[in-house]
Amino acid sequence: MELSEYIQNTIRPKIQGDGGEICYLGEDDKTVTVVFRGECSKCRILDRCVHWIESEILRETGKTVTLRYTRRKPYFWDKG
Amino acid sequence: MAHIKVQRRSMRPEEFVELRYGWLKRHILEDTREITTFEIRDARQIAEETYEFYTDSYRALKKGDLYFTPDGTAFIRASARIPQEWSGREVWFSLKTAAEMVIKVNGVYVGGIDPNRDRVLLSPYIDSRDLHFEIVGYNRSKPDDERNPDSLSVRGCRQIFEGGYLALVNDAILSLVYDLDLLLDAALSGVFDEDFSAMVIRELDSALNLIDFDAISTEDVAKASAYIESNIYRNKNYNGSGSVALIGHSHLDLAYYWRKIHTVQKNLRTVLIQLRLMDRYPDFHYAHTQPYTYETLEKFYPEVFAELCEKIKAGQFEPAGVMYVEPDCNIPSAESLVRQCLYGQMYYREKFGLTVDNCWLPDVFGNSWILPQILKGCGVSYFVSNKMSTWNDTNRFPHNNFIWRGIDGTEVYACVPPTHFISWNAPSQIKENWDAYQDKDTGGSTMQMFGYGDGGSGCTEEMIELMHRFEKLSILPKTEHMTGKEFLHRNFDNNQNLSVWDGELYLEMHRGTFTTKSLLKRMNRKLEFKFRDAEMLSIARLAAGEEYPADALRTLYKKFLVNQFHDILPGSHIAPVWRDTMDELHQVELQLNHLIGTGERWINTLNFSRREPVFIEDAKGVFCRHGKRGSFFRCSDDVLAPVTIQAGDNADWFVFEHNTVTTPQYVLRFGEDGGFLSLWDRALSREWVNGDFNTLHIYRDCPGNYDAWDILSDYEAVESTVHVVKPLSYVKADGSCAEFSVTLGVGKSTWARQIRLFRYSCGIEVENLVDWQEDHKLAKAVFDVNVLSRELICDTSAGFIRRETHRNTTWQQARFEVCHHKWCDMAESGGGVALINEGKYGVGAKNSRVSLSLLRSTERPDPEADKGTHDFCYLIMPHSGSFLEAQINRRALEYNVPLLAADSFRLPVKLPDALILQAVKLSEDGKKIIFRLSEQDGKRGSVPLEQRMIRMNLLEEPLEEIDVLSYHPFEIITLAVNR
Repeated sequence: MELSEYIQNTIRPKIQGDGGEICYLGEDDKTVTVVFRGECSKCRILDRCVHWIESEILRETGKTVTLRYTRRKPYFWDKG
Repeated sequence: MAHIKVQRRSMRPEEFVELRYGWLKRHILEDTREITTFEIRDARQIAEETYEFYTDSYRALKKGDLYFTPDGTAFIRASARIPQEWSGREVWFSLKTAAEMVIKVNGVYVGGIDPNRDRVLLSPYIDSRDLHFEIVGYNRSKPDDERNPDSLSVRGCRQIFEGGYLALVNDAILSLVYDLDLLLDAALSGVFDEDFSAMVIRELDSALNLIDFDAISTEDVAKASAYIESNIYRNKNYNGSGSVALIGHSHLDLAYYWRKIHTVQKNLRTVLIQLRLMDRYPDFHYAHTQPYTYETLEKFYPEVFAELCEKIKAGQFEPAGVMYVEPDCNIPSAESLVRQCLYGQMYYREKFGLTVDNCWLPDVFGNSWILPQILKGCGVSYFVSNKMSTWNDTNRFPHNNFIWRGIDGTEVYACVPPTHFISWNAPSQIKENWDAYQDKDTGGSTMQMFGYGDGGSGCTEEMIELMHRFEKLSILPKTEHMTGKEFLHRNFDNNQNLSVWDGELYLEMHRGTFTTKSLLKRMNRKLEFKFRDAEMLSIARLAAGEEYPADALRTLYKKFLVNQFHDILPGSHIAPVWRDTMDELHQVELQLNHLIGTGERWINTLNFSRREPVFIEDAKGVFCRHGKRGSFFRCSDDVLAPVTIQAGDNADWFVFEHNTVTTPQYVLRFGEDGGFLSLWDRALSREWVNGDFNTLHIYRDCPGNYDAWDILSDYEAVESTVHVVKPLSYVKADGSCAEFSVTLGVGKSTWARQIRLFRYSCGIEVENLVDWQEDHKLAKAVFDVNVLSRELICDTSAGFIRRETHRNTTWQQARFEVCHHKWCDMAESGGGVALINEGKYGVGAKNSRVSLSLLRSTERPDPEADKGTHDFCYLIMPHSGSFLEAQINRRALEYNVPLLAADSFRLPVKLPDALILQAVKLSEDGKKIIFRLSEQDGKRGSVPLEQRMIRMNLLEEPLEEIDVLSYHPFEIITLAVNR
């Protein structure tokens, strides 16, 4: 399974379940780049979730990857 | 010169009191035994009580481990043994978590734990020292209490397990902690007298000086408690005034940052917690709303439901709120609101033998003017809703306990408590409530709800303990804990002094919810009328000897009503809720279609003749409307019967040249963007356009944190450029209709408009086909109507409301965006222009400019809200005379109720056409045929009936037999005949 599909179809609905949002941007070698939005964009313990996603990718696709991520806060939370 | 602020660097007395308060709290648990046998199995809930598990087996869960997953449910189990030496003591289970947990021990539901409470009492519910724990936990990133900083800091999907313990509680220390909770809030909140605050801090300092914090002893704690009793509680030099009624309640959003499937467990936890508090505190009462939640409890947790029934019998647990769910009260139609009350009341009667006489809607975003008579007709005389007092952004709503007069003159008692419906019984909250209460001289006591909410949770032991101490605090208003019903009856019954509010209860906030998640609104409108057709057709078939699908219709209706909940229909929810809702509504539509079936004849299910063209689907049709091919026809005058349809005979009825089309009604000059530069009415010899008209405007829409909810009053300040991708052109025509098309572009979106003029109608239809990819934009269609008008007439679904369009006072300024139903109308004496829609509820008006809100693109709570394709129509309907003379309401009904395909249709009774036939159904007891009529023009009259009928209330109970039907303006009338 392509990682983009896996993130879109398997991870994303779970992230959305908590009011978050994850969007696959691309991958390079063993690094997958995503952007977090919604509640994830201001989560103080997002790192824990990132590690969980990496472990789920390994468990379900057999691929060892590192998730590189950025946050995109909505304007009303973007206070610098 | 630098300004140097003088600071006190040594510790202030109140700081030292607070420090010691924190130290004391560490000693509440006097002894603990860590449970080391926890195991966990991670899952994700996919349906009610249905889960997908990540693993086949449990894994060990140790203190410090991460647990819970995004959108996760965790099944946790453990075994433990109560130490022999604890024999005779009350044993607790303690666990700190940001999640919501329901705890079963040895097969018994013992209680719930969540961010607002971290222990449950075991002793009364177990009969063995050997304990087997089964815990179901649901974690979510929005704790109930956003005001609690501790909760905020642990928001997140992956939590650290802090361990679970068997524990003994030191009751003396706990009691002292509650004293400190109470007194510190009173002293430090700043809402009480300064001298009182100084006294409390001084005496608390002295009290805590009696405790050796290096070795806290029960004796010292007792001395401190006694000191507080003597020196603070018995000090009556500081006296408050007022009377505040305390009502236990927990607000439970059926869907919001969670799905309905999760609410089943949230409700269980909430109810269970209240039941356990009732066990411990026999004087504790709690009001719980929404029969839907009782149904889920009964279905999935019958043993807890049985306990609940016992507490209802005992008078502690109070079923409150007549409505099946707490719906949005702007958008649902009159019939939907009737069904909310009917099905809710039926449930309460059937299960508990109760008729609930209040409507309890603390959180809804404003309340339609049509509600009072619906409530009264359903046995409800009392209305409770908090929002207007606490959320209005412009005006202070002037009453808290008052009489609300509805559109037809029906009056109900209304309570809009002065403060928020989520509170935790802090003394400062009690005082703030009384201070804010505006009906001190006329309304009796003021209502204060207490209990955590939004996602349920409810009251805590702390809230009750504080409440028990209130009478000791002389500076507080007098408080009394009671049921909601008791409060309402005691303060309203026979109260001759109450003020009257005559009008809608408009919320000066959340104006965006009339528009957010546009497809949902459209679906709501469509299904409201599809239910009408399905029930009516089923009655016609019953009359022809077929079976009436009562159970199927009721089940579908209830599913539909749940999706009118006030964070579902308004669009203020996360993406999974959106998907659930649309899936369910599509299922409802499919099943209604199945019930309706099809046939060879076209039926007019309206009880008046149609005047407007009807669109009939036909694969060979000339036009494509809502993705279906078909053509427009005129139809015969038949009413509640099959009609014959007729096409226009040739296409030479209009002329189009130089962007100007001449029809029998108009000379219309288009702009290249599809706007009307001129609309000359040939019959009236007048111009309807005075500026923008049918012009698309895209505004910046940045209301802040309440993104999906709000539109700001200055939304017009920044506007995006709309460019023409493909200028207006003529497309096609037949003998009835001529179609023009234009494609616009804005940002990343394309916006095609198909504009249809009709040979036999004054209506001009605009179909919008949009690929909407904007962020934080509000799309409106703007109409500068060439009339001198100071009011916009708006449909409410059961009558009309006049809204002033000037900005003279802050009350008009605040109503810059309002909710309307099928139509709005702006006119002067000789005529005006109506806008008829098929699912757009937001409209703004200023002077003679009307702006119909079409789409938004909000980011919170759903970052993808409204993105994608949309296809919606509206009808521009210039008219002579007033909207009443032009029968705009009837034209709007035609627009929303298409002809129905069936083989035959005949209702068993002929009905008066002076009133609108709102619904026809089988009574819930199956014995009568119910006809719901609605006076919508503001007229009074009487009409003879063709047969003797029974006048009923909205609960389908007979009132009287009549031969002549008398009615008054805006009355909703229920008639019946026996089967």
